Amino acid sequence: MNKVKIKSKNLNVHYGQKQALFDVNLDLNEKEVTALIGPSGCGKSTFIRCINRMNDVIDICKVTGNIEIDGVEVNDENLDVVSLRERVGMVFQKPNPFPKSIYENISYGPKIHGKGDTKSELDEIVENSLKKSALWEEVKDRLDEPGTSLSGGQQQRLCIARAISVNPEVILMDEPCSALDPIATAKIEELIDDLKKTYTIVIVTHSMAQAVRVSQKTGFFHLGKLIEVGKTEKIFKNPDNKMTQDYITGRFG
Amino acid sequence: MTKEERLKKRHSAEKRFRFYGLASIFVALLFVLILVQNIFSKGSSAFKKTVIKTEVFYNQELLELKNGASEKDIINADFYEVMIESLIKSFPAKNIDEENELIRLFSADAEYEIKKAFLNNNNLIGEKIILDLTASDDIDQLHKGNYPRDLPEDRRRISNFQLAIYDNFVENDKISKNFNNYYFTKGDSRDPELAGIGGAIVGSIYSILICLLLAFPVAVLASIYLEEFAPKNRITDFIEININNLAAVPSIVYGLLALQILLATIQLPRSTPLVAGITLALMTLPRIIIPCRASLKAVPPSIREGALAVGASKFQSVFHHVVPLAMPGTLSGTIIGLAQALGETAPLILIGMVAFVVDIPSSPIDPSSSLPVQVYLWSESAERGFVEKTSATIMILLTFLMIMNFLAVYLRQKFEKRWN
Repeated sequence: MNKVKIKSKNLNVHYGQKQALFDVNLDLNEKEVTALIGPSGCGKSTFIRCINRMNDVIDICKVTGNIEIDGVEVNDENLDVVSLRERVGMVFQKPNPFPKSIYENISYGPKIHGKGDTKSELDEIVENSLKKSALWEEVKDRLDEPGTSLSGGQQQRLCIARAISVNPEVILMDEPCSALDPIATAKIEELIDDLKKTYTIVIVTHSMAQAVRVSQKTGFFHLGKLIEVGKTEKIFKNPDNKMTQDYITGRFG
Repeated sequence: MTKEERLKKRHSAEKRFRFYGLASIFVALLFVLILVQNIFSKGSSAFKKTVIKTEVFYNQELLELKNGASEKDIINADFYEVMIESLIKSFPAKNIDEENELIRLFSADAEYEIKKAFLNNNNLIGEKIILDLTASDDIDQLHKGNYPRDLPEDRRRISNFQLAIYDNFVENDKISKNFNNYYFTKGDSRDPELAGIGGAIVGSIYSILICLLLAFPVAVLASIYLEEFAPKNRITDFIEININNLAAVPSIVYGLLALQILLATIQLPRSTPLVAGITLALMTLPRIIIPCRASLKAVPPSIREGALAVGASKFQSVFHHVVPLAMPGTLSGTIIGLAQALGETAPLILIGMVAFVVDIPSSPIDPSSSLPVQVYLWSESAERGFVEKTSATIMILLTFLMIMNFLAVYLRQKFEKRWN
């Protein structure tokens, strides 16, 4: 069993009057993939957006409670979100490469964080990131082409490479395969399996099969509450909760 | 109603709508065509000026200049006698009245043209050369066919004697039409044949440049702040409504504002491109802010999130990603705003740009005219020469506007990036 990397305690989130998360207590282990499942609007995305404070962007969003990474409080007014997001990367539901070249897409993060001062250092970071995201072979001859010219699956791997480029400890993935076809999805899943050796990964997914394939731990959310969490195998084979059972067998959702 | 009848009705409704659309486009095109035809037929002759070939004899006795006289001496010398002598030789006048009528066939600048030819070539003392002297407005219009010669003499500006001279010139091939360089290089004048838009063009360029320098940075920064950084609350809503209202305020109101604040209170120099530029900048500001905010709004939030997620600060995500993507739309909005400012007349009249300015302004704080105001000024003049100049100036103004609008479209198409 790996040690706990991220720990949430009594986490509550409100969007204006509406409460989106209710007292979520969830531990995420280091160098492991944790899948979050549940019907739409149950708060899975809201939860992972708390980990890198992406909810700050939304004016009406209010987060209370605690969330710690390596024992350091994330939800602290004085915490620098820039360095937090350097440690916690994110991949979104829809691939969102910058409308710039493939090279610039990857080199942007390291540049703003002052990593890779020389051209050769940057080149190396770009190459490594693309290799880690299994995209290097496909794009190495056309790094100057716009990132938006790639196919959907390639774009999503480019976004993963962009997240890796700043060398984070955690990667959050918000339904990374929902806009992709099965072949592209398979590639991303393979990649996730590979990446978990280095990074702590949290993935939100609507595909039960995907959760089974890629994750070691699964959490089931319903209406803003964490209903059940445990080893993926156990959750899908022998869940404790009736609701979990109903959801994974497709009786509601 | 049966199914067939309903179907038929639907089809005929669509056909009717297409017909209305085509008809309205046709009507619009027809009006554009009439406008262009009208302006072109009236104005195209202004690009040519009538000149009369005249043999000029630089008689040393009349000039009172020595060989190799300095430039200053030449400029101060009197060429009037030389001109009269040369003109009389070209067509004999019997008495002083006829002599005056003969001289009035030439522009008031004929003497200056003779002097200029002399300045360009200093060895002309005692020599004869043939010069193309600019004809007066009456002859110019007569030669262009704009002047009716079958009126009785007492209702004509041109006497029978002058007509006889004109016919003689035509017979001897002395009269011809040249490119009208005066129209493009000279300032305004009381004599139509000597009036030009040089001063107005320079004045317009100064005004628009000042307008651009003031309005563009303020408008872009204001848009970025309002769109990306300002909290969304009642105050910002109120500001937004007011900006939209300001864009709809009649331009003459900005003229009144400038008159009170810039001229009366701050005491900036009257009738200058500086004041015009500031006034136009006030007017253009909301017209740039609106398209700039729209372009910023059109940048998808996923781009901002992508930048924030790799650890860019708010400022970095806006200035590295959002603003560059919004630039093509902003630039084309700016150019269209400037094109509107270029064609603006009312506020400039209020700040005194309607003054009669002969000199071409050498700086933005010299009194000046501007293209639309020049059109307004000339359209009020009775002389036939100004009628063609009015239309020609409208053509020039429309050409500038068209170039700016094409530039706006080109910039947007060339630099607009797609995102999915």
